[in-house]
Amino acid sequence: MSSLVQILINGLLLGSMYGIAAIGLSLIFGTMRIIFIAQGTMIVFFAYLTYWSFVKAGIDPYLSLLTVVPFAFVVGLGLFYLLFRKAAALEDRNVSLLLAVGLMYLVDNLILRVWSATPRGLDISYSGAMIVAWGIRVSWLRLALLGLAFGSAVVVFVFLKKTRVGTAVRAASEDMEATTILGINSVWVCAISFAIGIALAGVAGVGMATVYSFDYQFGFTFAIKALVALALGGMGNVFGALAGGLLLGVIENLAAYYIGIAWIEVASYGIFMLVLIFLPQGLFGRRGLVKKV
Amino acid sequence: MNRRKLIWAGFGALAVVFFGTLPFYYDVHRGQWGIFFFNVFVYVIVAQGWNLISGYTGQISLGQNAFFGVGAYTMALLWFNDVTKTGYYFDPVLMILSGVTPFILAVLVGVPLLSRLRGDYFAFGTLGMGMIVTVLFINGGMFTGGAEGRMLVPKMPPGVVFNLRTHYWVAFLVAVLATLVVYFMTSSRVGLALKAIREDEVSAASHGVNVLRYKVLAFAVGASMAGVAGSIYGYYLLQVTPSNVLTQNWLFYPILMVVLGGTGTILGPWLGAFLIYLMSWYGDQYVAGFSPILSGIVIILVMLFLPSGIIGLGQKVPGLGKRGRGSG
Repeated sequence: MSSLVQILINGLLLGSMYGIAAIGLSLIFGTMRIIFIAQGTMIVFFAYLTYWSFVKAGIDPYLSLLTVVPFAFVVGLGLFYLLFRKAAALEDRNVSLLLAVGLMYLVDNLILRVWSATPRGLDISYSGAMIVAWGIRVSWLRLALLGLAFGSAVVVFVFLKKTRVGTAVRAASEDMEATTILGINSVWVCAISFAIGIALAGVAGVGMATVYSFDYQFGFTFAIKALVALALGGMGNVFGALAGGLLLGVIENLAAYYIGIAWIEVASYGIFMLVLIFLPQGLFGRRGLVKKV
Repeated sequence: MNRRKLIWAGFGALAVVFFGTLPFYYDVHRGQWGIFFFNVFVYVIVAQGWNLISGYTGQISLGQNAFFGVGAYTMALLWFNDVTKTGYYFDPVLMILSGVTPFILAVLVGVPLLSRLRGDYFAFGTLGMGMIVTVLFINGGMFTGGAEGRMLVPKMPPGVVFNLRTHYWVAFLVAVLATLVVYFMTSSRVGLALKAIREDEVSAASHGVNVLRYKVLAFAVGASMAGVAGSIYGYYLLQVTPSNVLTQNWLFYPILMVVLGGTGTILGPWLGAFLIYLMSWYGDQYVAGFSPILSGIVIILVMLFLPSGIIGLGQKVPGLGKRGRGSG
């Protein structure tokens, strides 16, 4: 019994990483309709930045949230205006997809050049701190990850619901053309949601650096996992994306325990396919968002 | 129009004669250009397959590497276990079968994915399929040989010498065939239906086009091209492993080649394959290790400044059509 609870908890904690990444993807996909396949790579990149600021300057990873996340936001704005502004306006999706692929190749291999292929991980003074209750062990750092995920979801949710720009973002993800007619600057809306997406990659990067070991190849798989989480949770819903991530984490941990570690990926991608085929609006997505032919 | 077609056909025939007879006056086995063009031809086959489903039909497929790998494995496993009892090198039976299995897989995956969903969801689904196929082959144990794959060198029939000349010719022949298939498919009624689907699916359906059937057909034919290319490449590698036939390179490079050359054009994939492979060829020679960084930069630059491809340059009419690409 307690092992099952342990599995569920570990799954939730792993899933919170997917959740943060999926919220970012959902913002970018919602407004620009881009499959931003470089999201995972950006996460790994920011994880390396966190790693560096810890190793070189001794900055606590949670303190580096204050520098990494704003930096990620600026990087997002820069990337958007440099690369994606024109592509987002094209109907031809290949262009933005390939731009993301190019970015992924570029950043992946820059990471390989700068930090080599050895997996990295942080050893913080409180890495080993655990909560032990009823025979279940949870490390504080992983629990903090869950807090990080919920925190980011709430921040993004409040931003979308309570601010003018957020309302514009929501409008744009419903219908971009109508939004433009209403006099909303669609470029700015896309830029903001892209930058927030990348900032969330920064949050996820810090989280990843504190708990997991990572290397330069991790990005692609992670981006697809975030996509799976997004499909599970449903588009256009911040908490749906987070819930999708948590659920995926639980599913992966259950699969690892009951079927075997080698079959984790089969389970998660299999569920991905099933959801896409039978439940295209996701578990928590709004119905009617995905039109049938 | 007819005269322009004639000129193109003349150029095409000249090119076919030139590349077809190249091994007679150039040692493709020892000279470096033999292996260079072999790789270009293999990429052309995969790229033409992607061109058919995504360039002409407008459904972005992200599963070409899975079909390439399934084709390569079909050949390798059948040969390794000697299922067909036809122990030739470059066995035509095996090569045809390695086009059939991806075709079946594409129909199985394509029917549910293409009937329910459109656009981005098809891209997601094919991406997921590629990941599943990769993991299944890695976990295949005794059947697929796992991460080690299957070593085919001991299965070489006695007396056969490994000569790249065969590889060169087979790859070239199949690349030309694939191009012809795409050409005749897209210039017939089928092609009209495919382009109608690309431009406006709802309108195509309301004009009596069986949207699902044509989309699945294009997807499956494109998949079997990738599969045959995989088997040819498998005959070159002689060891088929997940890490060399199922990598992202077989997914993203063909897409880049098609887009660079000109999406939805018949010669675009040839041009793109040649240029991109040339780049990675010299990249590996002169700036080894930085080549992937270079290709990342090239992908980004091409998309920023040449989104409609090289062939699209000549046909670009500003303001005509949102796609900004020639329609072949």
